[in-house]
Amino acid sequence: MTIRCDRVLELAPGFVLGALDAADMAAVHEHLIACRESHPELRELGGVLPYLAVSLEPVEPPARLRAAVIAAAQADLAAHPRSAQAAARRVAAIPRTAVAYEPLAVEAWAAEPAATVASGSGTVVSLASVRRSRRRRALAWATRVAAAVAVVAIVGYGYGVVREPGARPSQSPFFVPGQGDVVVDLTAPGAGTAHGFVDLRPTNHLIVYVNGLVPTTGDQVYMVWVTAGKDVSLAGYFRVDSQGDGTVQMDNVPRAPSLWVQVCIEPNEHVTTPTGPTVASATIFS
Amino acid sequence: MGAPPPLEGDQELKAEESEAELMRQVAAGEIGGLETLYDRHHAMAYALALRITTEPGLAEDVVQDSFLGLWRNAARYAEAKGSVRGWLLAIVRHRAIDTIRRRKNGVTLDDDTTDIVPAALTLPDIWPEVAGRLDAEQVRIALEGLPPAQREAIEYAYFDGLTQREIATRTGAPLGTVKSRMRLGLVALRRELLDVTDAANELVPAVTAGSKGRS
Repeated sequence: MTIRCDRVLELAPGFVLGALDAADMAAVHEHLIACRESHPELRELGGVLPYLAVSLEPVEPPARLRAAVIAAAQADLAAHPRSAQAAARRVAAIPRTAVAYEPLAVEAWAAEPAATVASGSGTVVSLASVRRSRRRRALAWATRVAAAVAVVAIVGYGYGVVREPGARPSQSPFFVPGQGDVVVDLTAPGAGTAHGFVDLRPTNHLIVYVNGLVPTTGDQVYMVWVTAGKDVSLAGYFRVDSQGDGTVQMDNVPRAPSLWVQVCIEPNEHVTTPTGPTVASATIFS
Repeated sequence: MGAPPPLEGDQELKAEESEAELMRQVAAGEIGGLETLYDRHHAMAYALALRITTEPGLAEDVVQDSFLGLWRNAARYAEAKGSVRGWLLAIVRHRAIDTIRRRKNGVTLDDDTTDIVPAALTLPDIWPEVAGRLDAEQVRIALEGLPPAQREAIEYAYFDGLTQREIATRTGAPLGTVKSRMRLGLVALRRELLDVTDAANELVPAVTAGSKGRS
Protein backbone atom coordinates (compact mmCIF):
# COMPACT_ATOMS: atom_id res chain seq x y z
CA MET A 1 0.00 0.00 0.00
CA THR A 2 1.63 3.21 -1.10
CA ILE A 3 -0.46 5.63 0.93
CA ARG A 4 -2.14 5.52 4.30
CA CYS A 5 -5.75 5.98 5.30
CA ASP A 6 -5.21 9.53 6.45
CA ARG A 7 -3.85 10.38 3.03
CA VAL A 8 -6.96 8.91 1.40
CA LEU A 9 -9.07 11.07 3.66
CA GLU A 10 -7.08 14.07 2.53
CA LEU A 11 -7.45 13.17 -1.14
CA ALA A 12 -11.10 12.16 -0.90
CA PRO A 13 -12.72 15.29 -2.41
CA GLY A 14 -10.52 15.24 -5.47
CA PHE A 15 -10.86 11.50 -5.76
CA VAL A 16 -14.64 11.42 -5.82
CA LEU A 17 -14.66 14.21 -8.38
CA GLY A 18 -12.03 12.49 -10.48
CA ALA A 19 -9.96 15.65 -10.12
CA LEU A 20 -6.69 14.27 -8.80
CA ASP A 21 -3.57 13.86 -10.83
CA ALA A 22 -3.24 10.40 -12.33
CA ALA A 23 -0.65 9.28 -9.78
CA ASP A 24 -2.85 10.22 -6.84
CA MET A 25 -5.90 8.64 -8.44
CA ALA A 26 -3.98 5.42 -8.89
CA ALA A 27 -2.62 5.56 -5.35
CA VAL A 28 -6.10 5.88 -3.88
CA HIS A 29 -7.40 3.07 -6.06
CA GLU A 30 -4.54 0.87 -4.97
CA HIS A 31 -5.10 1.72 -1.34
CA LEU A 32 -8.78 0.87 -1.54
CA ILE A 33 -8.05 -2.48 -3.06
CA ALA A 34 -5.94 -3.49 -0.12
CA CYS A 35 -7.45 -1.51 2.73
CA ARG A 36 -9.97 -3.05 5.08
CA GLU A 37 -11.16 0.27 6.45
CA SER A 38 -14.55 1.45 5.35
CA HIS A 39 -13.55 4.97 4.22
CA PRO A 40 -17.01 6.42 4.68
CA GLU A 41 -15.73 9.79 3.56
CA LEU A 42 -15.73 8.57 -0.02
CA ARG A 43 -19.35 7.61 0.01
CA GLU A 44 -20.37 10.67 1.91
CA LEU A 45 -18.61 13.10 -0.37
CA GLY A 46 -19.29 11.14 -3.52
CA GLY A 47 -22.95 10.82 -2.67
CA VAL A 48 -23.37 14.51 -3.36
CA LEU A 49 -22.30 14.28 -6.95
CA PRO A 50 -25.30 12.72 -8.67
CA TYR A 51 -27.37 15.67 -7.57
CA LEU A 52 -25.18 18.21 -9.28
CA ALA A 53 -26.69 17.03 -12.53
CA VAL A 54 -30.14 17.56 -11.06
CA SER A 55 -29.39 21.27 -10.86
CA LEU A 56 -29.60 21.50 -14.64
CA GLU A 57 -32.77 22.25 -16.49
CA PRO A 58 -33.79 19.36 -18.73
CA VAL A 59 -33.12 19.99 -22.40
CA GLU A 60 -35.07 18.27 -25.13
CA PRO A 61 -32.76 16.73 -27.73
CA PRO A 62 -33.71 16.42 -31.39
CA ALA A 63 -36.44 13.85 -31.95
CA ARG A 64 -34.16 11.84 -34.21
CA LEU A 65 -32.05 10.88 -31.22
CA ARG A 66 -34.74 8.60 -29.83
CA ALA A 67 -35.00 6.75 -33.11
CA ALA A 68 -31.23 6.47 -33.31
CA VAL A 69 -31.00 5.02 -29.81
CA ILE A 70 -33.71 2.47 -30.43
CA ALA A 71 -32.27 1.51 -33.80
CA ALA A 72 -28.85 0.98 -32.27
CA ALA A 73 -30.34 -1.21 -29.57
CA GLN A 74 -32.25 -3.24 -32.13
CA ALA A 75 -29.11 -3.74 -34.17
CA ASP A 76 -27.26 -4.81 -31.07
CA LEU A 77 -30.03 -7.23 -30.20
CA ALA A 78 -29.90 -8.74 -33.66
CA ALA A 79 -26.18 -9.25 -33.31
CA HIS A 80 -26.39 -10.54 -29.76
CA PRO A 81 -29.70 -12.20 -28.95
CA ARG A 82 -30.28 -12.45 -25.27
CA SER A 83 -32.67 -14.19 -23.00
CA ALA A 84 -34.28 -13.36 -19.72
CA GLN A 85 -32.76 -16.48 -18.28
CA ALA A 86 -29.28 -15.44 -19.26
CA ALA A 87 -29.82 -12.00 -17.82
CA ALA A 88 -31.17 -13.44 -14.61
CA ARG A 89 -28.21 -15.76 -14.29
CA ARG A 90 -25.85 -12.90 -14.73
CA VAL A 91 -27.63 -10.73 -12.20
CA ALA A 92 -27.78 -13.58 -9.75
CA ALA A 93 -24.05 -14.01 -10.03
CA ILE A 94 -23.49 -10.55 -8.61
CA PRO A 95 -23.72 -10.57 -4.84
CA ARG A 96 -25.36 -7.57 -3.28
CA THR A 97 -23.04 -7.37 -0.33
CA ALA A 98 -22.94 -3.96 1.26
CA VAL A 99 -19.41 -2.68 1.29
CA ALA A 100 -17.83 0.59 2.10
CA TYR A 101 -16.32 1.12 -1.32
CA GLU A 102 -18.67 -0.23 -3.86
CA PRO A 103 -18.10 1.12 -7.33
CA LEU A 104 -20.99 1.20 -9.66
CA ALA A 105 -20.39 -0.57 -12.88
CA VAL A 106 -20.76 2.50 -14.95
CA GLU A 107 -17.31 3.06 -16.26
CA ALA A 108 -17.57 0.48 -18.96
CA TRP A 109 -20.81 1.93 -20.15
CA ALA A 110 -19.35 5.34 -20.31
CA ALA A 111 -16.20 4.29 -22.06
CA GLU A 112 -17.90 1.99 -24.46
CA PRO A 113 -17.87 3.44 -27.93
CA ALA A 114 -20.83 2.60 -30.08
CA ALA A 115 -18.53 1.47 -32.85
CA THR A 116 -17.45 -1.51 -30.80
CA VAL A 117 -20.89 -2.72 -29.95
CA ALA A 118 -20.67 -5.83 -32.01
CA SER A 119 -17.20 -6.79 -30.99
CA GLY A 120 -18.00 -9.22 -28.25
CA SER A 121 -20.20 -10.25 -25.41
CA GLY A 122 -17.79 -9.02 -22.83
CA THR A 123 -17.63 -5.46 -21.69
CA VAL A 124 -15.68 -3.19 -23.97
CA VAL A 125 -13.82 -0.53 -22.12
CA SER A 126 -11.05 1.89 -22.69
CA LEU A 127 -7.63 0.45 -22.26
CA ALA A 128 -6.43 1.11 -18.77
CA SER A 129 -2.85 1.37 -17.74
CA VAL A 130 -2.19 -1.57 -15.53
CA ARG A 131 -0.47 -0.43 -12.46
CA ARG A 132 2.62 -2.23 -11.35
CA SER A 133 1.30 -4.34 -8.67
CA ARG A 134 1.95 -5.68 -5.30
CA ARG A 135 2.69 -9.32 -5.33
CA ARG A 136 0.42 -11.55 -3.45
CA ARG A 137 1.94 -13.75 -0.85
CA ALA A 138 3.21 -16.98 -2.23
CA LEU A 139 1.19 -20.11 -2.01
CA ALA A 140 2.71 -23.34 -0.89
CA TRP A 141 5.08 -25.04 -3.30
CA ALA A 142 2.78 -27.97 -3.25
CA THR A 143 0.35 -25.96 -5.30
CA ARG A 144 2.95 -25.45 -7.97
CA VAL A 145 3.80 -29.07 -8.06
CA ALA A 146 0.15 -29.81 -8.42
CA ALA A 147 0.15 -27.65 -11.48
CA ALA A 148 1.24 -30.53 -13.59
CA VAL A 149 -1.89 -30.88 -15.58
CA ALA A 150 -3.69 -34.16 -15.59
CA VAL A 151 -6.09 -34.64 -18.40
CA VAL A 152 -9.07 -36.50 -17.14
CA ALA A 153 -11.66 -37.48 -19.62
CA ILE A 154 -14.99 -36.98 -18.00
CA VAL A 155 -18.21 -35.87 -19.41
CA GLY A 156 -19.33 -32.42 -18.55
CA TYR A 157 -21.55 -30.25 -20.61
CA GLY A 158 -20.59 -32.38 -23.54
CA TYR A 159 -17.01 -31.37 -23.26
CA GLY A 160 -13.86 -33.07 -22.30
CA VAL A 161 -12.60 -31.59 -19.11
CA VAL A 162 -9.08 -30.82 -18.10
CA ARG A 163 -8.71 -31.08 -14.38
CA GLU A 164 -5.85 -30.29 -12.17
CA PRO A 165 -5.13 -32.42 -9.16
CA GLY A 166 -7.11 -31.10 -6.26
CA ALA A 167 -9.49 -29.08 -8.34
CA ARG A 168 -13.08 -29.67 -7.42
CA PRO A 169 -15.34 -30.76 -10.24
CA SER A 170 -17.43 -27.65 -9.83
CA GLN A 171 -14.42 -25.53 -10.58
CA SER A 172 -12.97 -27.59 -13.35
CA PRO A 173 -12.54 -25.84 -16.63
CA PHE A 174 -14.71 -26.83 -19.51
CA PHE A 175 -12.30 -27.42 -22.23
CA VAL A 176 -12.59 -28.74 -25.73
CA PRO A 177 -9.19 -29.69 -27.00
CA GLY A 178 -10.56 -29.79 -30.47
CA GLN A 179 -8.92 -29.28 -33.81
CA GLY A 180 -8.04 -25.70 -34.38
CA ASP A 181 -7.95 -24.71 -30.74
CA VAL A 182 -5.13 -22.41 -29.72
CA VAL A 183 -3.97 -23.24 -26.21
CA VAL A 184 -1.50 -20.99 -24.45
CA ASP A 185 -0.14 -21.16 -20.93
CA LEU A 186 -1.02 -18.47 -18.46
CA THR A 187 2.00 -17.40 -16.48
CA ALA A 188 2.49 -15.16 -13.51
CA PRO A 189 4.81 -12.17 -13.51
CA GLY A 190 7.90 -12.42 -11.38
CA ALA A 191 7.62 -14.89 -8.55
CA GLY A 192 3.85 -15.10 -8.74
CA THR A 193 2.25 -18.45 -8.22
CA ALA A 194 -0.70 -18.26 -10.58
CA HIS A 195 -0.69 -20.44 -13.64
CA GLY A 196 -3.10 -22.02 -16.03
CA PHE A 197 -4.02 -21.94 -19.65
CA VAL A 198 -6.11 -20.12 -22.19
CA ASP A 199 -7.94 -21.94 -24.93
CA LEU A 200 -9.24 -20.05 -27.94
CA ARG A 201 -11.57 -22.14 -30.01
CA PRO A 202 -12.20 -21.63 -33.72
CA THR A 203 -15.74 -20.69 -32.78
CA ASN A 204 -14.36 -17.60 -31.04
CA HIS A 205 -15.06 -19.11 -27.65
CA LEU A 206 -12.44 -18.49 -25.00
CA ILE A 207 -11.79 -20.60 -21.95
CA VAL A 208 -9.49 -19.38 -19.22
CA TYR A 209 -8.42 -21.57 -16.36
CA VAL A 210 -6.21 -20.39 -13.53
CA ASN A 211 -4.81 -22.13 -10.51
CA GLY A 212 -2.40 -21.21 -7.76
CA LEU A 213 -4.37 -18.13 -6.87
CA VAL A 214 -4.45 -16.53 -3.47
CA PRO A 215 -7.96 -16.87 -2.02
CA THR A 216 -10.07 -13.78 -2.34
CA THR A 217 -11.37 -11.98 0.70
CA GLY A 218 -14.45 -9.83 1.13
CA ASP A 219 -15.64 -8.58 -2.22
CA GLN A 220 -12.38 -9.16 -3.98
CA VAL A 221 -12.63 -10.93 -7.30
CA TYR A 222 -10.30 -12.13 -9.97
CA MET A 223 -11.26 -10.54 -13.25
CA VAL A 224 -10.17 -11.79 -16.64
CA TRP A 225 -9.61 -9.14 -19.28
CA VAL A 226 -9.07 -9.65 -22.98
CA THR A 227 -7.27 -6.95 -24.88
CA ALA A 228 -7.60 -6.80 -28.65
CA GLY A 229 -5.86 -3.77 -30.04
CA LYS A 230 -7.22 -0.85 -28.09
CA ASP A 231 -10.31 -2.62 -26.88
CA VAL A 232 -10.41 -4.33 -23.56
CA SER A 233 -13.22 -6.75 -22.82
CA LEU A 234 -14.18 -8.27 -19.54
CA ALA A 235 -14.33 -12.01 -20.06
CA GLY A 236 -15.66 -12.66 -16.59
CA TYR A 237 -14.73 -12.89 -12.97
CA PHE A 238 -14.64 -15.35 -10.12
CA ARG A 239 -13.82 -15.65 -6.49
CA VAL A 240 -11.38 -18.13 -5.12
CA ASP A 241 -11.33 -20.21 -1.99
CA SER A 242 -8.51 -22.30 -0.61
CA GLN A 243 -8.54 -24.44 -3.74
CA GLY A 244 -6.98 -21.50 -5.51
CA ASP A 245 -8.52 -22.00 -8.91
CA GLY A 246 -11.12 -20.46 -11.15
CA THR A 247 -12.35 -20.49 -14.70
CA VAL A 248 -14.01 -18.10 -17.07
CA GLN A 249 -15.53 -18.52 -20.50
CA MET A 250 -16.30 -15.92 -23.08
CA ASP A 251 -18.21 -15.99 -26.35
CA ASN A 252 -17.66 -13.74 -29.32
CA VAL A 253 -14.09 -12.99 -28.47
CA PRO A 254 -12.87 -10.00 -30.47
CA ARG A 255 -10.88 -10.98 -33.51
CA ALA A 256 -7.39 -9.59 -33.62
CA PRO A 257 -3.92 -10.72 -34.69
CA SER A 258 -3.10 -11.09 -31.03
CA LEU A 259 -5.09 -11.18 -27.84
CA TRP A 260 -3.68 -10.38 -24.46
CA VAL A 261 -5.41 -12.19 -21.64
CA GLN A 262 -4.72 -10.93 -18.16
CA VAL A 263 -6.04 -12.00 -14.79
CA CYS A 264 -6.22 -9.19 -12.26
CA ILE A 265 -7.24 -9.09 -8.64
CA GLU A 266 -9.82 -6.34 -8.19
CA PRO A 267 -11.67 -4.93 -5.17
CA ASN A 268 -15.03 -6.13 -6.42
CA GLU A 269 -16.85 -7.23 -9.52
CA HIS A 270 -17.93 -3.75 -10.51
CA VAL A 271 -14.51 -2.65 -11.62
CA THR A 272 -14.68 -2.11 -15.33
CA THR A 273 -11.11 -1.43 -16.22
CA PRO A 274 -8.19 -3.60 -15.23
CA THR A 275 -6.84 -1.51 -12.42
CA GLY A 276 -5.70 -4.23 -10.04
CA PRO A 277 -2.45 -6.15 -10.03
CA THR A 278 -2.00 -8.64 -12.85
CA VAL A 279 -1.50 -12.09 -11.38
CA ALA A 280 -1.26 -14.00 -14.64
CA SER A 281 -1.31 -13.27 -18.33
CA ALA A 282 -0.95 -14.85 -21.74
CA THR A 283 -0.78 -13.68 -25.32
CA ILE A 284 -2.58 -15.56 -28.05
CA PHE A 285 -1.44 -15.15 -31.62
CA SER A 286 -3.97 -16.25 -34.17
CA MET B 1 -61.16 3.29 6.77
CA GLY B 2 -59.11 3.80 3.70
CA ALA B 3 -55.42 3.35 3.57
CA PRO B 4 -53.40 6.46 4.30
CA PRO B 5 -51.93 8.16 1.28
CA PRO B 6 -48.46 6.94 0.53
CA LEU B 7 -45.64 9.00 1.83
CA GLU B 8 -43.49 10.78 -0.66
CA GLY B 9 -40.67 8.37 0.03
CA ASP B 10 -42.95 5.42 -0.59
CA GLN B 11 -43.95 6.86 -3.92
CA GLU B 12 -40.34 7.27 -4.82
CA LEU B 13 -39.63 3.72 -3.78
CA LYS B 14 -42.42 2.47 -6.00
CA ALA B 15 -41.04 4.48 -8.87
CA GLU B 16 -37.62 2.99 -8.34
CA GLU B 17 -39.10 -0.48 -8.23
CA SER B 18 -40.74 0.25 -11.51
CA GLU B 19 -37.43 1.37 -12.93
CA ALA B 20 -35.81 -1.79 -11.67
CA GLU B 21 -38.45 -3.76 -13.51
CA LEU B 22 -37.71 -1.77 -16.63
CA MET B 23 -34.05 -2.61 -16.26
CA ARG B 24 -34.94 -6.27 -16.02
CA GLN B 25 -36.90 -5.91 -19.24
CA VAL B 26 -33.96 -4.25 -20.90
CA ALA B 27 -31.64 -6.97 -19.66
CA ALA B 28 -33.98 -9.49 -21.26
CA GLY B 29 -33.79 -7.65 -24.56
CA GLU B 30 -37.17 -5.94 -24.53
CA ILE B 31 -36.95 -2.76 -26.56
CA GLY B 32 -40.06 -1.39 -24.88
CA GLY B 33 -38.21 -1.15 -21.59
CA LEU B 34 -35.50 0.92 -23.20
CA GLU B 35 -38.04 3.17 -24.85
CA THR B 36 -39.68 3.88 -21.52
CA LEU B 37 -36.38 4.62 -19.83
CA TYR B 38 -35.39 6.88 -22.69
CA ASP B 39 -38.67 8.76 -22.48
CA ARG B 40 -38.18 9.30 -18.79
CA HIS B 41 -34.56 10.34 -18.70
CA HIS B 42 -33.46 11.56 -22.11
CA ALA B 43 -33.91 15.26 -21.40
CA MET B 44 -31.87 15.15 -18.22
CA ALA B 45 -29.21 13.04 -19.91
CA TYR B 46 -29.04 15.42 -22.85
CA ALA B 47 -28.90 18.45 -20.58
CA LEU B 48 -25.90 17.03 -18.76
CA ALA B 49 -24.16 15.96 -21.94
CA LEU B 50 -24.75 19.37 -23.49
CA ARG B 51 -23.54 21.18 -20.39
CA ILE B 52 -20.28 19.25 -20.46
CA THR B 53 -19.58 19.03 -24.17
CA THR B 54 -21.22 22.38 -25.10
CA GLU B 55 -21.87 21.04 -28.58
CA PRO B 56 -25.26 19.60 -29.54
CA GLY B 57 -23.76 17.07 -31.93
CA LEU B 58 -21.34 15.72 -29.37
CA ALA B 59 -24.06 15.71 -26.75
CA GLU B 60 -26.27 13.59 -28.99
CA ASP B 61 -23.44 11.13 -29.51
CA VAL B 62 -22.83 10.95 -25.79
CA VAL B 63 -26.49 10.33 -25.00
CA GLN B 64 -26.79 7.68 -27.67
CA ASP B 65 -23.68 5.91 -26.45
CA SER B 66 -24.89 6.12 -22.88
CA PHE B 67 -28.29 4.62 -23.57
CA LEU B 68 -26.66 1.97 -25.68
CA GLY B 69 -24.38 1.22 -22.76
CA LEU B 70 -27.40 0.94 -20.53
CA TRP B 71 -29.02 -1.37 -23.04
CA ARG B 72 -26.04 -3.66 -23.24
CA ASN B 73 -25.22 -3.70 -19.55
CA ALA B 74 -28.64 -3.64 -17.93
CA ALA B 75 -28.00 -7.02 -16.35
CA ARG B 76 -25.25 -5.44 -14.34
CA TYR B 77 -27.52 -2.91 -12.77
CA ALA B 78 -27.69 -3.43 -9.05
CA GLU B 79 -30.89 -1.98 -7.73
CA ALA B 80 -29.58 -1.83 -4.19
CA LYS B 81 -26.76 0.43 -5.25
CA GLY B 82 -28.67 3.34 -6.62
CA SER B 83 -31.30 4.70 -8.92
CA VAL B 84 -31.39 4.11 -12.64
CA ARG B 85 -31.30 7.84 -13.19
CA GLY B 86 -28.23 8.24 -11.01
CA TRP B 87 -26.52 5.44 -12.86
CA LEU B 88 -27.43 6.78 -16.26
CA LEU B 89 -26.30 10.30 -15.43
CA ALA B 90 -23.02 8.98 -14.13
CA ILE B 91 -22.52 7.21 -17.43
CA VAL B 92 -23.38 10.33 -19.36
CA ARG B 93 -21.01 12.44 -17.34
CA HIS B 94 -18.14 10.01 -17.70
CA ARG B 95 -18.72 9.60 -21.40
CA ALA B 96 -19.00 13.34 -21.95
CA ILE B 97 -15.87 14.17 -20.00
CA ASP B 98 -14.01 11.43 -21.78
CA THR B 99 -15.11 12.95 -25.06
CA ILE B 100 -13.97 16.46 -24.27
CA ARG B 101 -10.68 15.30 -22.76
CA ARG B 102 -9.84 13.32 -25.83
CA ARG B 103 -10.78 16.17 -28.07
CA LYS B 104 -8.77 18.64 -26.01
CA ASN B 105 -5.67 16.52 -25.80
CA GLY B 106 -5.91 14.86 -29.17
CA VAL B 107 -5.05 11.56 -27.61
CA THR B 108 -6.43 8.09 -27.76
CA LEU B 109 -7.99 6.29 -24.87
CA ASP B 110 -4.96 4.28 -24.01
CA ASP B 111 -2.32 6.93 -23.64
CA ASP B 112 -3.90 9.47 -21.42
CA THR B 113 -4.81 9.80 -17.80
CA THR B 114 -8.42 9.30 -18.75
CA ASP B 115 -7.76 5.64 -18.29
CA ILE B 116 -8.00 6.37 -14.61
CA VAL B 117 -11.69 6.16 -14.05
CA PRO B 118 -13.07 9.27 -12.41
CA ALA B 119 -13.94 8.07 -8.98
CA ALA B 120 -17.02 10.17 -8.84
CA LEU B 121 -18.55 7.76 -11.25
CA THR B 122 -17.62 4.72 -9.28
CA LEU B 123 -19.40 5.76 -6.15
CA PRO B 124 -22.90 4.69 -5.42
CA ASP B 125 -25.96 6.83 -5.55
CA ILE B 126 -26.36 6.59 -1.81
CA TRP B 127 -29.25 8.91 -1.33
CA PRO B 128 -32.00 7.66 -3.56
CA GLU B 129 -34.48 8.53 -0.87
CA VAL B 130 -33.11 12.04 -0.78
CA ALA B 131 -32.97 12.42 -4.51
CA GLY B 132 -36.61 11.55 -4.81
CA ARG B 133 -37.51 14.61 -2.81
CA LEU B 134 -35.11 17.03 -4.40
CA ASP B 135 -36.05 19.06 -7.38
CA ALA B 136 -33.76 21.06 -9.58
CA GLU B 137 -34.60 24.30 -7.86
CA GLN B 138 -33.68 22.95 -4.44
CA VAL B 139 -30.36 21.69 -5.70
CA ARG B 140 -29.67 25.00 -7.41
CA ILE B 141 -30.43 26.86 -4.22
CA ALA B 142 -28.07 24.61 -2.33
CA LEU B 143 -25.37 25.22 -4.92
CA GLU B 144 -25.92 28.94 -4.94
CA GLY B 145 -25.63 28.94 -1.19
CA LEU B 146 -22.01 27.93 -1.46
CA PRO B 147 -19.25 30.52 -1.45
CA PRO B 148 -18.59 31.28 -5.14
CA ALA B 149 -15.03 29.96 -5.04
CA GLN B 150 -16.16 26.64 -3.60
CA ARG B 151 -18.97 26.29 -6.11
CA GLU B 152 -16.59 27.16 -8.91
CA ALA B 153 -14.11 24.48 -7.86
CA ILE B 154 -16.79 21.82 -7.74
CA GLU B 155 -18.36 22.83 -11.02
CA TYR B 156 -15.03 22.98 -12.83
CA ALA B 157 -14.33 19.44 -11.72
CA TYR B 158 -17.80 18.01 -12.19
CA PHE B 159 -18.95 19.72 -15.36
CA ASP B 160 -15.65 20.49 -17.05
CA GLY B 161 -13.62 17.49 -15.96
CA LEU B 162 -10.73 19.60 -14.75
CA THR B 163 -8.23 18.31 -12.25
CA GLN B 164 -7.42 20.27 -9.13
CA ARG B 165 -4.17 21.33 -10.70
CA GLU B 166 -5.94 22.53 -13.82
CA ILE B 167 -8.43 24.43 -11.71
CA ALA B 168 -5.58 26.09 -9.86
CA THR B 169 -4.07 27.16 -13.15
CA ARG B 170 -7.33 28.43 -14.50
CA THR B 171 -8.35 30.35 -11.40
CA GLY B 172 -4.90 31.47 -10.31
CA ALA B 173 -5.48 30.07 -6.84
CA PRO B 174 -2.83 27.98 -5.09
CA LEU B 175 -3.34 24.24 -5.44
CA GLY B 176 -3.84 23.83 -1.71
CA THR B 177 -6.56 26.42 -1.76
CA VAL B 178 -8.34 24.63 -4.57
CA LYS B 179 -8.23 21.40 -2.59
CA SER B 180 -9.65 23.12 0.46
CA ARG B 181 -12.39 24.77 -1.53
CA MET B 182 -13.37 21.48 -3.05
CA ARG B 183 -13.60 19.74 0.30
CA LEU B 184 -15.43 22.53 2.04
CA GLY B 185 -17.79 22.90 -0.88
CA LEU B 186 -18.72 19.24 -0.98
CA VAL B 187 -19.21 19.12 2.77
CA ALA B 188 -21.36 22.23 2.71
CA LEU B 189 -23.38 21.01 -0.23
CA ARG B 190 -24.00 17.70 1.44
CA ARG B 191 -25.13 19.48 4.57
CA GLU B 192 -27.42 21.74 2.59
CA LEU B 193 -29.02 18.88 0.73
CA LEU B 194 -29.53 16.93 3.89
CA ASP B 195 -31.04 19.96 5.53
CA VAL B 196 -33.43 20.42 2.65
CA THR B 197 -34.77 16.96 3.08
CA ASP B 198 -34.69 16.97 6.84
CA ALA B 199 -32.44 13.99 6.65
CA ALA B 200 -30.10 13.08 9.43
CA ASN B 201 -27.08 15.29 9.75
CA GLU B 202 -24.99 13.08 11.90
CA LEU B 203 -22.94 11.78 8.98
CA VAL B 204 -21.45 15.14 8.22
CA PRO B 205 -18.83 15.19 11.00
CA ALA B 206 -17.21 12.08 9.58
CA VAL B 207 -16.47 14.01 6.44
CA THR B 208 -15.42 17.24 8.02
CA ALA B 209 -12.80 15.38 10.04
CA GLY B 210 -10.52 15.59 7.07
CA SER B 211 -11.10 19.25 6.42
CA LYS B 212 -8.06 21.41 6.47
CA GLY B 213 -8.03 25.11 6.19
CA ARG B 214 -10.60 27.35 4.73
CA SER B 215 -10.65 29.29 1.57
